[in-house]
Amino acid sequence: MNYLTLVCVELKKIRHSKILLILLAPVVIMWLPSLVNSGVSFTTYGIPITPEHNFFIQGFMGMVWFMIPATLIICTVLLSQTERADNGILKMLALPINRGILCLAKFTVLLILPVIQMFMAFGTYYICAFAASKLQDYSFMLEPSYVLCAIAKFYLAALPMAAVYWMITVLIRTPVFAVGIGLACAVPSVLMINTKYWFLDPMSYPFYVLMTEYGKAAKGIYETSIDWIPWLPTAILITAVCLILSCIKFGQAETR
Amino acid sequence: MIVKTELKKLKRSGYFLTFLSGALLAAAFPVINMAARSESYTALPGDPFHILLDACWQIMAMLNILLIVCGACMMYHTEYAENGIRKMESLPVYQGSLFFGKFVIAAAASALALLPEFLSAALCALHWFPGYRIDFKELAGYYGFGVLTLLPTIMLMLAIASFCRNMWISLGIGVILVFSLSIFPQNRLFFMLCPFCTPYRLLGPVLEEGSLALFIGVCAAEAVAFGIIECIMIKVRRYFS
Repeated sequence: MNYLTLVCVELKKIRHSKILLILLAPVVIMWLPSLVNSGVSFTTYGIPITPEHNFFIQGFMGMVWFMIPATLIICTVLLSQTERADNGILKMLALPINRGILCLAKFTVLLILPVIQMFMAFGTYYICAFAASKLQDYSFMLEPSYVLCAIAKFYLAALPMAAVYWMITVLIRTPVFAVGIGLACAVPSVLMINTKYWFLDPMSYPFYVLMTEYGKAAKGIYETSIDWIPWLPTAILITAVCLILSCIKFGQAETR
Repeated sequence: MIVKTELKKLKRSGYFLTFLSGALLAAAFPVINMAARSESYTALPGDPFHILLDACWQIMAMLNILLIVCGACMMYHTEYAENGIRKMESLPVYQGSLFFGKFVIAAAASALALLPEFLSAALCALHWFPGYRIDFKELAGYYGFGVLTLLPTIMLMLAIASFCRNMWISLGIGVILVFSLSIFPQNRLFFMLCPFCTPYRLLGPVLEEGSLALFIGVCAAEAVAFGIIECIMIKVRRYFS
């Protein structure tokens, strides 16, 4: 079986897991208060920002800070626990497949699920922006290219975090620890982005990208350009180390 | 009896270690905050203990809530993972007592987790603010109120975890509730009194608003109501499984 077949197999396994509902619920819930309070977007507290950018950024803040990490944690639980029950993972490991490739196939599924959620967020944003425009008699709709580009940036910034969470799940076999460590790591990112060493904390990357978008839309709030130099090498290094470690360790405890 | 069995089940699941490390992490938060930027707080007027908690409690409370979500999922995961719950169902034990045994343990673990958190805030105030003396009566009041506000969240989360066979669904619902109730407007009384929201409140502001009796009553009523709902659901579920 090659890599692509394995990814398809992994996708088939989670068909009846109701994960799509769990991905959709926070996206919808997130936009409801924004829609009800869409009038608040006009009060900018002296920050030079247009109401439509304010609406977009305030709406995505909660998602980028908390919901992306939380979704990734839920997906890692899904991927590891569906196969622990009835020892499904032993059957997979008994097949003549490279364990590393199996691990990467599972990681690919972990990356596909947030893509679906991002598209859901894109759709919900436009529905809510349209409804808010009707409510407030002011156009909250931003150009789709800008919105897509911003969402794609948030997603790409979340990739190192996904690798870290996947490594935690593979290395720590007790689910309560894996989940606990993951959730505990996600919370302080709101403080990390205000320090000099934010690039060492993968959980704060999407929030950092959002804040630079905020900085671009409202001058003087935050930095307007991304500091690529300490960030990109660190992010690539973290991702690579996490993936290599999880590929080596994947399934080792079961086959011993 | 049932509490003892439940304790035995949790012995090797890492439950207590998780609560301990979560509590220590939350307790470390005011220390780190003060060590990093003490000058921005020591200049503020008012009671040092209140200043510190105002600055740190949002994050600490969120960690506590996440700890409860994680713990509740774990408690029922150990039952469902190897069909242990089927064996429990065949015993001559009332199913509700299983739930309430778990609730007692979860409440006790959360109460113990709050202890180092408030102590660390008080000790930080003692260390960084000259002339501050710990008021133990006030500390006990804050602690008691903190434990009480956690009870509805624990009860609701355990009820959710007991309905869902799969851990990712209960975890997903829990995380969505934490997230969505934290972004609803926090200045409306209705949202303040929701489970998953009450732990963010501290005794000081509640006393100032004069809504202490309301908070105590609503928290107790919510906890009892979720307990009753769980008892009904146990009976209803028998027809579906």
